[in-house]
Amino acid sequence: MTRFLINRLLYLVLAIWLLTIFSFCLNWLFPGDVITNMSGIRPLSPNYDMAFQLRGGDSNLFIQYSYYLQNLINFDWGVSLVSQKPVWAEATRTFMATFEILLLGLLLALLTGLPLGALAAARYKSPVDKVIISTAIGGYSIPVFWLAQLLILLFAVKIPWLPITGQIDPLYLIEPKTGSILIDVMLSQSEHKTDALYNALAHMVLPVVVLASLPSMLLLRMMRNTTVEVMQKPYVKAVRARGLSPFRVVTRHAVPNAIQGIIQQLTFIFGLMLANSVIVESIFNWPGIGSWLLKAIIERDYPVIQAALLILVATTLVVNFIFDIYRGWRFPIVREERYGTA
Amino acid sequence: MIKLRSTFPVIVTLLVTACGGEREIPEPLREGLVYCSEGNPEGFNPQLVTSGTTVDATAAQLYDRLIDYDASSQQFVPALATRWQPLDEGTRYRFYLREDVSFHETDYFSPSRKFNADDVIFSFNRWLDPTSLYHNVGGGDYPFFTATGLDKLIKRVVKVDRYTVDIILRNADSSFLANLATDFAVILSAEYAGQLAVKETPEQLDTQPVGTGPYRFRRFRKDYFIRYNRNPDYWRQGPGIEHLVYSITPNANKRMLKLVTGECDVIPYPLVSKLQSLNQKQIKVQSEVSPNVGFWAFNTDKEPFNDPTVRQALAFAINRQAIIDAIYYGNAELADSILPPTSWAYTTTSQQYEYNPEKARQLLDQAGVEPGFKMTIWAMPVQRVYNPNARRMAELMQSDLAQVGVEARIVSYEWNSFRRRLSRGEHDTALVGWYADNADPDNFFRPLLSCAAVSTGSNRANWCHRGFDQILVNAISTTDTEKRKQLYHSAQQLLNQQLPLLPIAHSMRYQAQQDYVTGVELPPYGGISFRKAGKELQQ
Repeated sequence: MTRFLINRLLYLVLAIWLLTIFSFCLNWLFPGDVITNMSGIRPLSPNYDMAFQLRGGDSNLFIQYSYYLQNLINFDWGVSLVSQKPVWAEATRTFMATFEILLLGLLLALLTGLPLGALAAARYKSPVDKVIISTAIGGYSIPVFWLAQLLILLFAVKIPWLPITGQIDPLYLIEPKTGSILIDVMLSQSEHKTDALYNALAHMVLPVVVLASLPSMLLLRMMRNTTVEVMQKPYVKAVRARGLSPFRVVTRHAVPNAIQGIIQQLTFIFGLMLANSVIVESIFNWPGIGSWLLKAIIERDYPVIQAALLILVATTLVVNFIFDIYRGWRFPIVREERYGTA
Repeated sequence: MIKLRSTFPVIVTLLVTACGGEREIPEPLREGLVYCSEGNPEGFNPQLVTSGTTVDATAAQLYDRLIDYDASSQQFVPALATRWQPLDEGTRYRFYLREDVSFHETDYFSPSRKFNADDVIFSFNRWLDPTSLYHNVGGGDYPFFTATGLDKLIKRVVKVDRYTVDIILRNADSSFLANLATDFAVILSAEYAGQLAVKETPEQLDTQPVGTGPYRFRRFRKDYFIRYNRNPDYWRQGPGIEHLVYSITPNANKRMLKLVTGECDVIPYPLVSKLQSLNQKQIKVQSEVSPNVGFWAFNTDKEPFNDPTVRQALAFAINRQAIIDAIYYGNAELADSILPPTSWAYTTTSQQYEYNPEKARQLLDQAGVEPGFKMTIWAMPVQRVYNPNARRMAELMQSDLAQVGVEARIVSYEWNSFRRRLSRGEHDTALVGWYADNADPDNFFRPLLSCAAVSTGSNRANWCHRGFDQILVNAISTTDTEKRKQLYHSAQQLLNQQLPLLPIAHSMRYQAQQDYVTGVELPPYGGISFRKAGKELQQ
């Protein structure tokens, strides 16, 4: 296990290191002044000379890279070219906002996809199964942006239940400190915390549901197929023969075995959700990292583009790493596949 | 797993009941107003800009001026100055100031004294005097003042006593008071500026503003919101709401949607095409025939647009009536002069540029422009009352131009970069427009087409014509309205023949709001004001 852990960790560090080199190179690939692209400070600004010194503007590439890495680690990520506000502070806020809906979306996907998948498998080839699986295939084929428009039309315009943009009604005067709106409401001194919390939750419903829809359908199908596969195995027949009810067979024996395959797919699902979050955030004006990146691209805000790319890719890498470790720890067979030993 | 599955519907039910509307409206929502603005302000000091978005966001909310213009009585009315009088045959104006006005108390500044003559002097010198400490803070460009020539007109601003100032002019100018009443001539706090200078953070003056206006600045988050609080010490009748939030929503469809869902109380520039569906329900739509013009500017610095024949040819190639129908849905008038027909200085022009592709081609041949000529049309990315959808307009023009063998490419950037690049003259042609700041016809000419406006970048055609400039100077040097009228008529004829820009439409200005919002009127001139805003909610 230790060997496996070290091995995975080395891969992670290597990947992130390559990522920093790529992001460093972007400063040259973007048009304009290199130091400006890194720091967000324009050549005519009185602070430019200092930024030039701090980033080793007149030394060779290797030294510049070491300065770059140092600034990266010290969270001195420069300022936005457009707003002249520190990039790192905004990056953490937007990341937390994205992470919040991502996590809730994943949770919702798991909570709907897995039980429904298991139910379909338990009632394999029955009408219940057919209804569930055809809904899943239909749901899987709906593009995210279209579903979002549909839900807006239905639950915001026709039936005025839910708000459609932002994290909370701005009149609640909740300051974005961490970026995660639920935490921000909890931390705030507002006299109307409960109302604010309800309002924040209501704002969250549509983005989370839209974000969860695709992974939920994916998980449902995966769960159903692997469970059905497991159900064909001889040991399942054996426990059936001993008189266990089909329900208990599924929950006690088939599901735990099916989960393993699913966890393997979770990294892929997370990546998919991260990609979809860019669309969802833009539709619902969610102040997350995806919409931040999109605006930065439109405004040619190079320090922000770099930061957002760096964080998005690093997040994917770290999540991959975590799932890898979890699987290696939980299912020794993964380690065996790689090294032939446990 | 089973447990979770059974709690999920409970959570959903809770949520649905929570926003189901049975509960009474929470206090913060009753006391505040959300205005869904169309873009980010460039800063919080209108002295530095001409952009309508920034003016809407700042001028009337944060600041006051010496005098205001009352559109209904068509007169100047007192604001920070209680009265004023012209002296020395109109070359010196004396202003008597109010004595009971205090500046905003915020978490970054607490004033120790009331508003007085020093603040007026500081505010004027900021853009007037290049040697003043703050002149170069924020770039040193004051486009409105340079373009109207106010910085050349005013010789000095002198303190007579604590509550009296004299403004000394180089010559008498009939547009002087009108310019003072615009959104740009705001009064800043000299005390705050002094404190910032000591802290060596002078640029904060324009990002963390302090004024005397009906609202105090609280927070700005780019792309999301601006927050204002009511100023409890306001010197005249203030608003009936505690909080004012600008929720930044650049997408026009989304703005409409947010109005329908009740997330916005007031929205500017509703989509004219969808106005019909808005007229139902609890939404009020206001409209105003407003002094504006949308136009197509040719960059006369570039070949072949420096040739008037080419500009005329391109004008003949465009089907402007089709544009009025398709882009403005008929809520606009085809423009044949840069001045709207409501202006007293308006005249019909001799040459009408009706849609005539054959003539356009013929003129292009005459000017030596080959078929297959390539050019760019810069279409502004934001909606404006004078141009609700520049991109679609550019597409229509693209196909019109293709008919006469001109290949047009459409260029667009985010609004602030767009304006920056236009000022640098990167465009061949641009679809932009103008919204008058005051009632004087001069406001349409000097900021847009004078030689001075070329250097400030607000002359999008980069057109500098000495004869034309002379007419404008003559027109403002006299107060004789009949004489001014004659001069502006000849100015319009000259423009019509030289055609540095092709006027397209004078449009109606719209604003949509919930029916419980009161006191937010569409101003005929300048930016929106929430000074009298209130909410009449039925409990």
